[in-house]
Amino acid sequence: MQKSMSDFSEELIKSTTEDDQGERCELSGTGMHFPWLQKHIETVATGGKKEKDFAQTTSACLSFIQEALLKHQWQQAAEYMHSYLQVLEDSDSCKRQAAPEIIWKLGSEILYYHPKSNVEAFNAFADRMKNIGVMNYLKISLQHALYLLHHGMLEDANRNLSQAETWRYGEKSSSQEVLINLIQAYKGLLQYYAWSKKKMELSQLDKDDYAYNTASQNMLDHSWKTSVNLGALIQIPGVWDPFVKSYVEMLEFYGDQDGAREVLTNYAYDEKFPSNPNAHIYLYNFLKREKAPREKLISVLKILYQIVPSHKLMLEFHRLLRKSEKEEHHKLGLEVLFAVLDFAGCTKNITAWKYLAKYLRQTLMGSHLAWVQEEWSSRKNWWPGFHFSYFWAKSDWKEDKALACEKALVAGVLSGKGCRYFRYISKQDHQVFRKKIKRMKKLVKKYSIINPGL
Amino acid sequence: MDFPGSLRPTVFMTGPLGLSDVPDMSFMCSWRDALTLPESLPQNSENGVPHVAKGLLWEPETPGPLPLLPPGPDPWHPGLTAQDLLFRGGHPFQKQPRVVLDVTEQLSRFLWDHGDIAFAPLGKLMLENFKLEGARSRSKKTTVVSVKRLLQDLDGHQPWGCPWAYLSYRQRRFSILGGPILGKSVANLLGDLLHEELVMRWEQLLLDDAFTGGALAWVPGKTPRVGQLVYPAGSTLDKLYFQEVSLTPGGNPQVLRDPGHIQLRGPVRQVVTRTVQGESLLAVRSDYHCALWKVSRQGRPAPLQVLQVEKGATGISLSPHLPGELAVCSRSGAICLWTPQDGLRRVYKDPDTLVFRDPSPWRWADFTAHPRVLTVGDRTGVKIVDTQGPPGCGLLLFRGGAEASCQKGERVLLTQYLGEGSPESLHSTLHLICTQFSLYLVDERLPLVPMLKWNHGLPSAPLLARLLPPPGPGCPRPLLLGGQDGQLQLLHITGEEASTPRLAGPPQSLPSRNDSLSAFPVLEPKSQWRLQERLKAPTIGLAAAIPPSTSTPILSLFQLSAAGDVFHQCLRLQADPGPDSCAPTVSWSPQATACCSQWLKALLEVPPAPPVWAAPTFSHRRLLGCVEQREVEGKVPEGLRAAMAEGRLLQQRDLGSLPTAEPPPAPEPGPDDELSKRLEAAWEGQAAAWWERRQGRSSGPRQQPKRHKRRTQLSSTFSSLSGRLELSDVTSPPPSPDPEARPRPPGTPPSQELAQEHWARGVPSERQQTLRDYMAKLPLREDALEDASAPPSQTSSIRATRSRQRTLQDNTAKPPLQRDTPEGAFVPSSQTSSIQATPSRQQTPVLSGSQRIRKKPRMGF
Repeated sequence: MQKSMSDFSEELIKSTTEDDQGERCELSGTGMHFPWLQKHIETVATGGKKEKDFAQTTSACLSFIQEALLKHQWQQAAEYMHSYLQVLEDSDSCKRQAAPEIIWKLGSEILYYHPKSNVEAFNAFADRMKNIGVMNYLKISLQHALYLLHHGMLEDANRNLSQAETWRYGEKSSSQEVLINLIQAYKGLLQYYAWSKKKMELSQLDKDDYAYNTASQNMLDHSWKTSVNLGALIQIPGVWDPFVKSYVEMLEFYGDQDGAREVLTNYAYDEKFPSNPNAHIYLYNFLKREKAPREKLISVLKILYQIVPSHKLMLEFHRLLRKSEKEEHHKLGLEVLFAVLDFAGCTKNITAWKYLAKYLRQTLMGSHLAWVQEEWSSRKNWWPGFHFSYFWAKSDWKEDKALACEKALVAGVLSGKGCRYFRYISKQDHQVFRKKIKRMKKLVKKYSIINPGL
Repeated sequence: MDFPGSLRPTVFMTGPLGLSDVPDMSFMCSWRDALTLPESLPQNSENGVPHVAKGLLWEPETPGPLPLLPPGPDPWHPGLTAQDLLFRGGHPFQKQPRVVLDVTEQLSRFLWDHGDIAFAPLGKLMLENFKLEGARSRSKKTTVVSVKRLLQDLDGHQPWGCPWAYLSYRQRRFSILGGPILGKSVANLLGDLLHEELVMRWEQLLLDDAFTGGALAWVPGKTPRVGQLVYPAGSTLDKLYFQEVSLTPGGNPQVLRDPGHIQLRGPVRQVVTRTVQGESLLAVRSDYHCALWKVSRQGRPAPLQVLQVEKGATGISLSPHLPGELAVCSRSGAICLWTPQDGLRRVYKDPDTLVFRDPSPWRWADFTAHPRVLTVGDRTGVKIVDTQGPPGCGLLLFRGGAEASCQKGERVLLTQYLGEGSPESLHSTLHLICTQFSLYLVDERLPLVPMLKWNHGLPSAPLLARLLPPPGPGCPRPLLLGGQDGQLQLLHITGEEASTPRLAGPPQSLPSRNDSLSAFPVLEPKSQWRLQERLKAPTIGLAAAIPPSTSTPILSLFQLSAAGDVFHQCLRLQADPGPDSCAPTVSWSPQATACCSQWLKALLEVPPAPPVWAAPTFSHRRLLGCVEQREVEGKVPEGLRAAMAEGRLLQQRDLGSLPTAEPPPAPEPGPDDELSKRLEAAWEGQAAAWWERRQGRSSGPRQQPKRHKRRTQLSSTFSSLSGRLELSDVTSPPPSPDPEARPRPPGTPPSQELAQEHWARGVPSERQQTLRDYMAKLPLREDALEDASAPPSQTSSIRATRSRQRTLQDNTAKPPLQRDTPEGAFVPSSQTSSIQATPSRQQTPVLSGSQRIRKKPRMGF
């Protein structure tokens, strides 16, 4: 206890001295830190307090390890690491305190990649490192568990997390609290894996079987524990996709639709959370499963549209809007299509082009020329170069003739018969597409917004 | 586009940089990225552990990069170093040395080297006559100096910076009278400006962001194996070269033809190239101009547009979506978009930084997956700005703060859009953000939360980054990261559209130009030093090409140094090396060393850069007359006269058997200076013999001298305290004043050398600097100094100095001196000899402090 108390006070000291070091390193005025400042100072400083031999050898050793790691020389790195461990006995308390973190970071990396290392060696190292100092216990436990999880050793990972969960030291700081929540959530995730395995088994069992009852009872137990474990973390702002997903799945399975909705709504709409597209996608998918009214679905997707107008769900959104009775939704439907095609990653999305070609015709037939003109006015100076250039006409025709036809129709409607893309495609002579091109020409003549009078 | 279905768990916290209460997940190691959560158990249990490529290693073919092109004909100078800007010597009471700009030395050097600039305006202001202050009783004749006559005297005689220059009586009078005034006003006016300049230079030395983005570009040619390297060269980097290069299947580049070049009006800072819709475009940023070229399929550049940026351009980027579009950032905080249709249009303007206040005017802009949306970056963060929306609005993509668990003092150094505009690219929404500590990958659809963070640990500023196409189908994409000092790192980024980007395998470091030193033949020290400097020149450009190959993928890496050298390295992909295969050590091939020797030969033929300060040259004709008038007899004056008449350097043979000037005092040669003897022997290659001799001697009955020596050594350590002072006082009586003030030969008699700095000798060496600083800071009057509350051990020495100085000045300077200026008040006795010789130095007594520092090593310990 005596030892750990002194450790703790040293760690408190460490946090303040680290700040001092920061002050020292920064240049007056800019506040920026330069990791290479020391190198410059060393070229001029002749006096001053020289580093002790011990400090010199350990820092040299550290740089050797880092160099070996970057050259993938795991064997050599391991040898240096062996010597580096002496830093734990540094008389400088500041360095001694920082050492376990560095040793863990480098050591785990070596053990992860070293060709002769195995899980046992890693376990032994992790268990040893957890108990040097007090500040790293939780972090190392968590990473150790992740390592085990990655290697498919769910049981061991679970045991590790359970141990870490109950660990406390001193006054609970908020970072410690978040870490404990994370550990609990990962534990919950493990329980979810076990649960979903049981669910699989259950689905293969006969409902009248005796085993079915015990199995379902088991599942109930699990779900209760999991909800406790997962519930706490997802209240904290963050990105918790895997946790939310599994939690909702379990809630849904047990018929707690309201609970699931609340979790998802909170995850999507809480302002303290980052604007995570997945939160809205999960909510949308949940509502869809629930067979929520179209209005509701549209309102969810509207927000997703604000965040990620290029998402593939936008085409679904367009379909919903198209089916809606409201005129404003029809207008939004056009807007959504244009927005999807603004993005570089969507230029070859044939469905989007097909929808746009069809919907343009529909809109113009419904005499909403103003809508089209409104969308087009902000794009007319760059869409021709971006989508309807001669280069794309040639390459699209070569690669995907169906896409080229759809695009040509849109090009013709939006920028007239003079458009290079349209001209190039309409001149092509191809057996299969001859009919299509002919129809395209007719449509352009009829609907092109460039000469609406004709 | 698809969004990753499940993102990696991350805590999200808002707050300033270095918020200590965030559990920083980057504490996790690089292998964290390799970890995958089993998405759902059934799948996992069937497939087992997902296979992660553990070793993806690019193996260099040579231990270091090789020069691709012969060195340019212009000399290159490495520029300022920390030694030029900072106070040398340590601060003994501080644990960590502190950065102190050495304004004093720079000011003194400025006054030496550019005295005309420093003093001429003052002279012009005073016009015809100087009315110098003096006692009323004195006649006009002694206090008024005619400028015309003075200038006449100076004309052709006064070499700037030569302490032994010939001085007329008038000049001497003037400098004694005007010294305090001139020195004070000049130092006052210049001091601030110089300090400002030095701060700027020091900041530039710590971080030179001019070359952010890199000035080397690879423009692909007609076939995938042929391309053009575009880079600036020449001593001022104002010539833009176009060098056609063909890559052999083995990966080695072959230079085709001589390079073409375009002469520009300013130094090239950044060269960007993009091939959009089959059109290759080339954008170049200079300090105040940007230019755009279109490169034809034959490789000929045709100019499209030149833009002038009045406040200075900091970044330029070409649109990956629309041919010819580019974004330019200015120091004023404005971002302009140039399009062939609309011309130049300002899309954003904010002189303030995005997240918190930072003085750096550096701005950066790049494109995003939406052709009309730009990213705008500064040192504190990156913002997404819609150029069509209302001005000023936008969303922060990256915030220097707790959101990305940034450290205290962390700043954005580079941002780059990783998408290529083609829908095939998997990373069309990813942005790279580099700080001095870490690398972040941010998806523009999920702002503020980095998808990947990697602590790169580069020992210099990462200002260069290149994302390369995958070397083979299904391979992760290599991301090259280049530090300013030449360090290179290669990371592998993997992740399909529906999964988060992550690192595939541990990052790898690549050899830098410094590693090539071993390929060059050993040289004599001066040339070796020159070669080393050249290889150490900052890296200002990075380009890479992956030529299509049949077997193992090859990476051709080109780097450009600030000296204008293009180096090349070839790397071979070793996918999944066996468990025991360590990276085999490669060695230099005979071709490689031959290439290096050839390059070195060409380099050594380039004349070295002229020194910043040249020895003064001055007219000697009038002086010659003086010498002849006096009709001095003897061989020495004759030789001198002959040399002067011919205008050549005076050599030893001109003087015949001159009584050899005593060498400057050796550093306290003990009775038996072992070290120098050993060095001497070693230098002559007889170190072994020396050792034998010594062994024999020390085993003999000569213990006593050794002990004696030890004692003298010890005592000499302490001798710096008290006894020494009297001794030197005795050995050097105050030199008799010499009204003629003849130029003194460089070899000052040893007695005076000893007298120099003896005030400092009275003070323990570690306290001398403190004392100097202290005295420099105090606006001391001479008499006030005597009462200065210095520690007793110091006061005695100061007093001694003072008194000596006073007697001296009383002797030398006959006119009454107004000595109430701090500069005038403090002329320590170390300068006594030179004061006599060059009264002009009194004008700039500030420099005396630094002069002393330079002489210090001669003092001995």
